[in-house]
Parts: sequence; structure tokens; C-alpha cells
Amino acid sequence: MLVTWRYRKRRSLIQSFDPRAWIIFYLCYLGTVISIWDLRALLVVFAVALLVVLTSGIPWREMRRAWLFIGGFVVYFSFFTFLTGRGGVEFYQQEHVIRNLVAPFTIFGWQPVLHITVERSFYALSMLVRVFCLASMTILIPYSFDPALYGITFRRLGLPDKIAYAMDLTMRFVPTYGRDFQITMDAQRARGYELEKLSGGLVSQVRKLAPLIVPVTIQAIAGSEDIIDAMDLRAFGVKPRTWVEELHYKARDRVLIVAGAAVFVATLALSYLGLFQFWVPASLLSLPLL
Amino acid sequence: MDRKFFNLGLTLVIVFLFFLLVVWIGGNVLGIERLQTGERPVLRFVFVAVGIVLALAVYWFTKENKAWEVGTREVVYMAIGAALYAVFSYLFNGTVFVVPSVSQVALRPAICIPMFFGYAFGPVVGFFTGAVGNMVGDALTGFGVYPQWSVGNGLIGLIAGMAMLFPDKKKSLNTVLIIGAVLTAIATLFYFLFRNTPNTLFFDVANNIFGDQPISVLAGLSIVVGFILVVIVRFAFGANIDVAAAVTWGMLGNLIGLGFAAISDIWINGYPPAVAIVGEFLPSAGPNLIFAAILVPILVVAYAALQRQTGR
Repeated sequence: MLVTWRYRKRRSLIQSFDPRAWIIFYLCYLGTVISIWDLRALLVVFAVALLVVLTSGIPWREMRRAWLFIGGFVVYFSFFTFLTGRGGVEFYQQEHVIRNLVAPFTIFGWQPVLHITVERSFYALSMLVRVFCLASMTILIPYSFDPALYGITFRRLGLPDKIAYAMDLTMRFVPTYGRDFQITMDAQRARGYELEKLSGGLVSQVRKLAPLIVPVTIQAIAGSEDIIDAMDLRAFGVKPRTWVEELHYKARDRVLIVAGAAVFVATLALSYLGLFQFWVPASLLSLPLL
Repeated sequence: MDRKFFNLGLTLVIVFLFFLLVVWIGGNVLGIERLQTGERPVLRFVFVAVGIVLALAVYWFTKENKAWEVGTREVVYMAIGAALYAVFSYLFNGTVFVVPSVSQVALRPAICIPMFFGYAFGPVVGFFTGAVGNMVGDALTGFGVYPQWSVGNGLIGLIAGMAMLFPDKKKSLNTVLIIGAVLTAIATLFYFLFRNTPNTLFFDVANNIFGDQPISVLAGLSIVVGFILVVIVRFAFGANIDVAAAVTWGMLGNLIGLGFAAISDIWINGYPPAVAIVGEFLPSAGPNLIFAAILVPILVVAYAALQRQTGR
């Protein structure tokens, strides 16, 4: 049995576009975010992500888990790099101190000091914005991409019939196997399996993962016979495929594609010319060096 | 079909040459510094093209072989493999379940999926499983997209599936083992020459940063450990040729696929060759070999039992 993503038909900005147009835009968006480190420019793409998220019309309770996961991930990455100040060493050589927080205690003669510097703060902020942009745009896709259109979308994006159909099935299988994994894990736990307490050497630890991986994999392969039969009965792959759904670009889809591609290419070109690099306000550079 | 294939190959080669020309003219002749060193996201796509051209070249020379046929069955297996790989790499990446790491050797059990699917269902299924599965898995995690690593993962599955191209499985095994031994030896040599290279893949929890500490002895030698395990499995299960072949071909795929991705980082991220090989290739390929040697045989045996049961 297939489990589905939580797609629902909604009146929203993201769903008013053709899925092909949105996929192309999404890829351009990813490329744009990846090539920017300048916080000022990042705020612009951040605004775009925020606009898309807020107009998506997906209620908070449906997306809560996804957001909590991403939130934890984002904070983990940016906040801890901020504390240790080791993440951005490729981007700056000097650090300008805003304040040094010295702990009022010592642990075995080591006194923890937290250097709050301009560079670290701005690096953490840029990181926060970047990861948020990438993650939020990505998690919206399963909520807003009609499963009935997976196959035709990839086909019309230029993939061959069979590959497009395989992509379609991949997207459909992911939530199913996530559920299967959960069930398998519960079943093994009921038998006394403990993932949290993997002990022993490297080899025995690896072997202990088999009770999770093997049943899920083999069950998936065994279960595929039904799908294969169903496809064979409908003469899959005998002739060029026809698709029930049809996609037509509207003017707004073309605008979205052109805009996305233009911004991406422009950002890439400018970043090669040295723009959009890591930025801190010049006025803060008068602070003392670390 | 052939015409289309030729056009695709030609397009990829032209794209590749174009970028090569841009980098060469811009970087070396005109001396534009930004085209010489440092992060070059555009080059990622060049290496994607290179990887796909490699895959197409293998296909071109052996296209008469039945292993390349894609029917209903293969389409479904491609999707299953990719989805499983995505789910497992998402679950075991350290944020959902904390999989223990032993002395900097991060455990990435998902890697057995493309190897097994490649070996059991052929090179096309293997390539799709590795490449698409890695892409979807990265998207689920929110890591962003690293297309050249996706293609590298695809090559793992493709090469694991090349076992099917040889009618006599036993004969090819020794050649594969020797190639694997040579690659392992070269990588280990690099390790002994550049022992202080940081391990770029190790996520140091205490300091919360990637690539901080010099590579540990176990991480550096994990490739040797993995290779020895593969050899042990090869000869201990010599009677069950499927297990032996799956493990050896998986090993070769892992070495070449990840080697491709790591070496491409020399140009993409501007790493020195020593960092690419010791800091990236060893800590990723070594532990993967250990998984190949342990989990792939279990999967192969379980699948054989399933085949007996269902008669397929």
C-alpha cells in the first residue's frame, strides 16, 4: 500500500504555476542561493522564500513536524558555528570583537570565553538565511506538487518516458518506505533490538544494522511484483506512452522561468566578477581586532 | 534510439569542452584569478557531464549486451532502489538517528543499496539508484545539491552492475580484485605521504565543524580494512559466486565512483590533490567498503531466498 505526501489542492501562489515551470524556477533558485554569501543579497532571496511559504496556504499543523526538523537543523548549524567560531574561517582572516563573554568559573583550570565578533555574527546570520531558504523551498515541493502530475512533468521536462515514470515512482515510494522503515524498527524493538545501544567493534556494529535494512529492502522488492504486473498488463513500454494529464504553459509560467533563469545567470556572472562575497558592514570594522 | 543517444553524447561533450575552454582561456591565458582557484559551482555541472559521458562510454562499447535492456521490471526496480537509498541516507545521516561513528569513521549504511541494486538488476538500475537516490536524499535532508557526488554515487551502481556484462562471473573477478588492490594501494600511499591532512568529512561534534582534525589512523586505513574484508568475503564465499561477485564489483564501483567525485573536487572546491584523496576519498570510500563487505552479502543471500520462494 502506498502512503502519500500531504498534497492537497490549494489556492496558492506556488500551485498557480505549471509544475514544470516551478521545478525549473526551484533549480534556478537553489543555484542562486548557493552562489550568494552577501547578507544584503541573501535578504532579497529570503524575502522570496518567505513570500512563497506564507502564500502557500498550508496550515501550520500540517507542516509543523517538517518545520521543527528544519528549525533544529538550521539552528544547530548556524548557532553552534557561531559559538565556536570555526565555520567561516575560509571567508575572513581578521575578527573584530563586539564583546568577550568570560565565564565566571573555571573547569579544571580552563576558563570558557565566548568571543562575539562581527564576522562570526554575520557568518552565522548568512548561514541561517541560506539554509532556511534552501530547506523551506525544498519541503514545500511535496506539499504542493500534485502526485498525479509527477510523471508527465518529468516527461515534458525532456526525460524519456521510462526514466520519467521511474522518477514518478521514486517520488511516490519515498514516503511509503519511510513508513515501512518505522514499522520495521518498531517490530524489531518489540523483539529486543536496540539501535541506541550498538556496541562492539566496527564490524559487529555494521552487522547489527542488517535487521533494519534487509527486511525493508527485501519487502520492497517482493512487493514490487504487484506493481510490475499492473504495469505489464497495461502494456508499459510497448509503444511511446500517452499521459492522461496534459500540461500547458501559460504566460505566467513563461515569465517565472525566464525570471528565474535570468536571476540565476546574472548572480553567477556577478559572483564570478567578485560580487556577493561574504559581507560585514564597514562601520563595524573599526572595532578592535580579536 | 542510436541517433538520439549519439546526439546526447555529443551535446555533453560539447558542454564539457566549452567549459574547459572557458576555464583554460579565462584562467590560464587571460589570468582571471576567479577562474583559477577556489569554489567554482559551475564546474560541478561540467563534472556531471564528464560522469555521464563516462557512463555512456561504457554503454557504447557494450551496447549489444542484454544487461542494458530496460523493461517494466527495471523501471520499477530503479524507482525502488532510488527511494530506498534516499530514505536510508536521510534516516542514517546523523540527524534523525545518531548512528555511532568509531574513531572518525562515520557509518553510512545506505551505500549498500546502490551496490546491491546495481549488482542484482543491472547497470542502468544501479546508476539511477545511486544518482537519483542521492539527489532525493540530499533534498530531504536539506543539504543542498551536489550533483557531482550524485553522479559519483550513480557510477557506484553502474560499475556494480557491470558484473552482468560478463557471461562468466568467475573469470572477471580476479581482474577486478587486482584493479581494486592497485587503487587501494595508491590511496593508502597518499595517506602515508600526507598523514596530517584534515578529514573533511568528519563532523567533529565537540567543536561542531567539518574538517578540523587530522585524519585518524583508523579512518586513513579503513580502506585497507575494507579491502581486506572484501578479499576475505571473496574467498570465504567462493562457492557462492553471487556473493563474491557482488562484493568485488561493489568494491570497484565504490572506489571509482567516489574517486571520481573526490578528484573532481580538486577543481570544484580548489582542494589540493592530497586533501581530495586523503581528506575526502579515504574517509568516504573506506567505510563504504566495510559496508559493502558486510551488508551486501546479507542482501544478496536474502534476495536469493526471495527468488527461490517466488520463482522469479
